[in-house]
Amino acid sequence: MGFSRYVLRRLGYAVIVLFVIMTFNFAIFRLMPGDATKMIIDPMFTPEAIAELKRQFGLDDPPIVQYLKYVGNLLKFDLGLSFSTRRPVVNELKERLPNTAVLFLTSFIFTTIIGISVGVYTASKRGTFGDNFVTGAGLFTYAVPTFWIQLLLLMLFGYYIPILPIHGTMSAPPPDGFLLQALDRIHHLILPAGSNVIVAFGSWALYTRNTMLEALGQDYILTARAKGLPETTVLRHHALRSVLPPIITLIFGALPGMVSGAVITETIFSWHGVGKYLMDAVMQQDYPAAQGAFYLIALAVVICNLAADIVYGIVDPRIRVGEGGAK
Amino acid sequence: MSKNGAQNGISAPTFWEQYKRKPLGMVGLFIVLVYIFVAIFAPFLTPYNPKQILLADRIAAPVWFRSVVPQYNDAPSTVRTDLGPNEWTVSEATGGKLSSQEQDGKTITVIGFDPVFSGDVIAEGEADAFEDSEFADAYEKEPDMSVVELSYVVPYTYSPPKTFGLTFNYWIDASPDSKTELQFVIETPEGKEFNLWGKSYSGALGSQPARIDSRDLTLKQRLGLTIFDDPAPRIFSSKGDYRLVLTAKATSGEEPTRVCISDTVFYIPGMVHGVLGADHMGADLWAQLVYGTRISLSIGLSAAAISVAVGTAVGIICGYLGGVVDEFMMRVVDVLMAIPTLPILIILGAILGKSVWNIVLLISAFAWMGTARLVRSQTLSLRERVFVEAAKASGASDAYVMITHILPNVLPLVFAGMVLRIPSAILTEASLSFLGLGDPRVATWGRMLHNARGFGAFTTLAWWWLVPPGLAITFLSLAFVFIGNTVNEILNPRYRERS
Repeated sequence: MGFSRYVLRRLGYAVIVLFVIMTFNFAIFRLMPGDATKMIIDPMFTPEAIAELKRQFGLDDPPIVQYLKYVGNLLKFDLGLSFSTRRPVVNELKERLPNTAVLFLTSFIFTTIIGISVGVYTASKRGTFGDNFVTGAGLFTYAVPTFWIQLLLLMLFGYYIPILPIHGTMSAPPPDGFLLQALDRIHHLILPAGSNVIVAFGSWALYTRNTMLEALGQDYILTARAKGLPETTVLRHHALRSVLPPIITLIFGALPGMVSGAVITETIFSWHGVGKYLMDAVMQQDYPAAQGAFYLIALAVVICNLAADIVYGIVDPRIRVGEGGAK
Repeated sequence: MSKNGAQNGISAPTFWEQYKRKPLGMVGLFIVLVYIFVAIFAPFLTPYNPKQILLADRIAAPVWFRSVVPQYNDAPSTVRTDLGPNEWTVSEATGGKLSSQEQDGKTITVIGFDPVFSGDVIAEGEADAFEDSEFADAYEKEPDMSVVELSYVVPYTYSPPKTFGLTFNYWIDASPDSKTELQFVIETPEGKEFNLWGKSYSGALGSQPARIDSRDLTLKQRLGLTIFDDPAPRIFSSKGDYRLVLTAKATSGEEPTRVCISDTVFYIPGMVHGVLGADHMGADLWAQLVYGTRISLSIGLSAAAISVAVGTAVGIICGYLGGVVDEFMMRVVDVLMAIPTLPILIILGAILGKSVWNIVLLISAFAWMGTARLVRSQTLSLRERVFVEAAKASGASDAYVMITHILPNVLPLVFAGMVLRIPSAILTEASLSFLGLGDPRVATWGRMLHNARGFGAFTTLAWWWLVPPGLAITFLSLAFVFIGNTVNEILNPRYRERS
């Protein structure tokens, strides 16, 4: 079975998942107890006004027609009107998506770089303090509530030593000039992104360390050392190269979790992004908005999973063979 | 693994022998036992109920701050006195007396005044003359009002408080021609008097609530202060014995006058309180932490148990039966695993309503897939083993084989998996509660953090509100990780790297 067939298969599978999420998304907001319209429709309205509002929000059709319209609209990226702002949800999401992307990518890149470097470094220093530190940090990542660390950092650097902004993506009003604006945004980014990195890098480091140690026990490392190569060369060119595939797999595998985590990070730091939008929408019972935000997050997760599958197929050819063989 | 034979060979005593030798496992077990102890004996560890409010000032600091933080050296503890007839001392009584009365289970303070004209009824004619000629004179010569003065000494030994309050209910039984005056005064150790409250009435009066609050504008005006002045630190400016004085004056009519007072509470909210301080409502944080242990443990354990039970059942059925059922369920597993967990829990939590049971079900519903996959793959290999073939050949039904032959062999794997599932269930519950989707009726660690964030822990720098719940979550999760890893090492040496 060729690689392109494997990719196609995964792609088809991603589409099915998206379709299921879409249907689920449609159903859950209509099957819930109570009436979705009670948020927007006052019982004091005249019947004509109610009918007009229901028509505006597309709530007057039979469920199957609503569903078909919903799917059709989604394909056109039409997510309906927000109950609370009466603006198209897609416009609101468009405003917020770049902010979420910036926060996500910054956290992700720094977590990866720091986590992997620390892991590689400690693997070469077995049994030292650094080594124990990484084991501890890995456990810590697993057991500590992320939002709690974020709250502590927020209190420390936002209130005790108020050197970092406590909320938002930029100052209001923003400073003049492009450079100052960029610096202002970075200033706002330090706390949310930094806290993500602090909480997450430990597990990466631990994983990298363990994989590295396994690789360092292999015969070809012994050979390289026997040839008299310097230790850094052995680490960089021999060991690291062989552990990259599993680490890359890990990187992509961790993406969905980080996307999900955006909801809490953005809520804590009042980051003007998609995750906070979802949270606000849920709290205000603004169902079209919540639906849209959830759909966007689910889409991101599905894309990440697809990317993980494809990368996995590239780095480990056994997978695509296995895929054809099993089943 | 097919070479190992059946795996359920390890007996409980052997398991314990091996477990005892793992220090981390023992540490984890010890921590969990401490938490269980705290959960069970919560009522003995704190005198307060986590929901009981107004125990102290809002965001009061822990009481041990007095000896650690200089500015809290003699910060006030809560002074709260319920004043009944037994607490009051009669410091003056002319023409009246103090008595008590039981009513609706409460003890009511009653100040009774004799009717002025009793035994000396004025004749008709005399009354006319009284009205006609000597009206003004008579009025001036009217005998002094009878007076009863009650006092109560409050020793106050702290630095000035921020606020204080006094609440009571009162009513007057009297004939219409009577006059009554009531007054509340605080006398400082220096002898200075602050007239907090006063009313005068003619005739009878139904039950009235009185609420004296130092933040109240009318009180400030009464004391001649501006809106920005704080009466509390001015009145309680020094340490010593303060006298609360309640004065009732009355001129009775034909009937005796009775001034009744109930539910009298004098209250100075403390700026330090308990082991961990108080929250924004003056509720005890230590009580919330202690009672929160119950919720976290029960949600963590039950969500892990349910999800692992479902996962095991699905895994065994799919792995053993195979075919369409297997194919379908595995696709369901794939799809569920692709749904971002926290966002879907937030949405479903908001829609289904905030209750502990809903949270357990939701967490379980999105946590069984990993176990299902693991158990399925194990079952696939077990299915081909000789002992299963033998059972089938001797006519055992599918259900019988699954329960008596497959299940015991996957249990070691499942058990370790369950222990390792507990921390993530605890963390998920904490996250949901923190986001405000938890059950508002119960105190949980996540809810404490939610309140801390929403009600001023940051602006007041109340780290003592923020740190303990997070530490509690971390240590409990860590303990289960230690136990789970140790169990895994013993029971499933091959799976050590997986969770």
